Amino acid sequence: MTIGEALIEGLQVTVVGLAIVFGVLVILMLVLMAFKAIFYKEPAKAAKALPAAESKALPAARKTDKNKAEPAPVDEGELVAVLTAAIAAAYSTSTYHLNIKSYRRVGNASPEWNKAGLEDVINSTY
Amino acid sequence: MLDAFSSFLGSTGIAALLNNMMTAVSSGKNILEVIGTPLMIAIACLLLYLAIVKKFEPLLLLPIAFGVLLTNLPMFQNSSAILMHTEFFTDPQYMIDGHLDIQRIFAEGGLLDLLYLGVKLGIYPPLIFLGIGIMTDFGPLIANPKSILLGAAAQFGVFITFLGALAMGALIPSIGFGVNEAASIGIIGGADGPTAIYVTKTLAPALLPAIAIAAYSYMALIPVIQPPIMKLMTTKEERSIVMEQLRPVSKTERILFPIIVTIVVALIVPDAVALVGMLMLGNLIKESGVADRLAKTAQNGLMNTITIFLGLTVGATAKAETFLTPATLGIVLLGLIAFCFSTAGGLLLGKLMCKLTGGKVNPLIGSAGVSAVPMAARVSQQVGQKENPSNFLLMHAMGPNVAGVIGSAVAAGVFLAMFA
Repeated sequence: MTIGEALIEGLQVTVVGLAIVFGVLVILMLVLMAFKAIFYKEPAKAAKALPAAESKALPAARKTDKNKAEPAPVDEGELVAVLTAAIAAAYSTSTYHLNIKSYRRVGNASPEWNKAGLEDVINSTY
Repeated sequence: MLDAFSSFLGSTGIAALLNNMMTAVSSGKNILEVIGTPLMIAIACLLLYLAIVKKFEPLLLLPIAFGVLLTNLPMFQNSSAILMHTEFFTDPQYMIDGHLDIQRIFAEGGLLDLLYLGVKLGIYPPLIFLGIGIMTDFGPLIANPKSILLGAAAQFGVFITFLGALAMGALIPSIGFGVNEAASIGIIGGADGPTAIYVTKTLAPALLPAIAIAAYSYMALIPVIQPPIMKLMTTKEERSIVMEQLRPVSKTERILFPIIVTIVVALIVPDAVALVGMLMLGNLIKESGVADRLAKTAQNGLMNTITIFLGLTVGATAKAETFLTPATLGIVLLGLIAFCFSTAGGLLLGKLMCKLTGGKVNPLIGSAGVSAVPMAARVSQQVGQKENPSNFLLMHAMGPNVAGVIGSAVAAGVFLAMFA
């Protein structure tokens, strides 16, 4: 094979190959766009529905209490980010729906048996 | 007693080494073939050093390097201690009508011959893809469908390198790069080890060790190779673009995605189904949430087992006589070109998308279209954060990154359909 032949054959394969790769992925892109049209509900609606459920589920963690002093100065933004992520993970949802307005530290005054039970659950899951 | 001792001495590796070197010298072979064995052992030790001390993809490079060591230990011809007979898999003399002589491999093969059947028969790479599928989150891709195109653009390097290898083969005929070899070398640019192995074992089995080692080494070097290209091709303003938050993705979408991808790919490129199908099966096992036990096994126990078998046997194909050739040097050079052009291809489309969307897309996520998950996405994140410390591109870059896995598997299917 001379260099000219090699380049011509190579170019043909390149054009056809890239066209097929793009073709397949463009089809998948159209499928995904259809997904968005079919499955994705307006954020306003979703955002309203979820926090309502959240505040019922986690009253202690989410109730407002601005008056209580924090024990140590912490990075508010970072803490809120971590809390949001934790709630999102626990409810297998996206942080997109969550909006933490305030938080309050609650002491762990639960009985020893409860703590042991909780630890058990955590250990068996992860 | 003395007889027994002398026959033991005659069976040692030292005797074999001296004997083999003498034969090579007396039959007038070149210097590379005379010192091939010790040189390959030195290369194996260098690779072990890179894996253990420098931590270059140690999970793969360590078994690969040890495979290189095991296969190059000095042995007498026809010794029953030989672990790997590469000739059984590549030399037509040992085959039946160009097919593997399975009977012979079972009867005379060593440990690594038997394990290598998993590579040769195309079993290991799809199983690795099963595990990768479980660890992959297609959410960012589903949320931003356009990013799938970046995964296609990054296959640019695959085809450019294919061209380059063909040209090199035409200019230097002795290097022996035909279309099959060129396709196998090109696929290095997909930055996907299992895919490269899957293509090479079919199209150019003799080049397997060099291509696998090049692919995995360059994947480990992505944080070194990509950033200069990324900085060169983008402006400071482009690099500091903050992208909109991704929409949430429902569970239904996550479950439908792998099923639809499998069907679409099968309809167009059936040769890619072994890889894409297993990738999507793994992903479906995870996203369905009904088979947690399978997910845990496939991404831990199964995948680790296969990784050991794959690494060890791919390394073991690197015998001195096939590895110490100009072709290996050519592959190392072309592999680097492949990575550079794949990165550039993704960045170019990223820039185009940036222009078309009026600056909503940060072109840095384009370079993540090479499929090395998640290193390439992490590089996009790091380079972006250098310009704008509060910019988080990671999730945006994961979209092109996982699309790159699909893209390179499709490119592999295209090559297999054309040349196999």
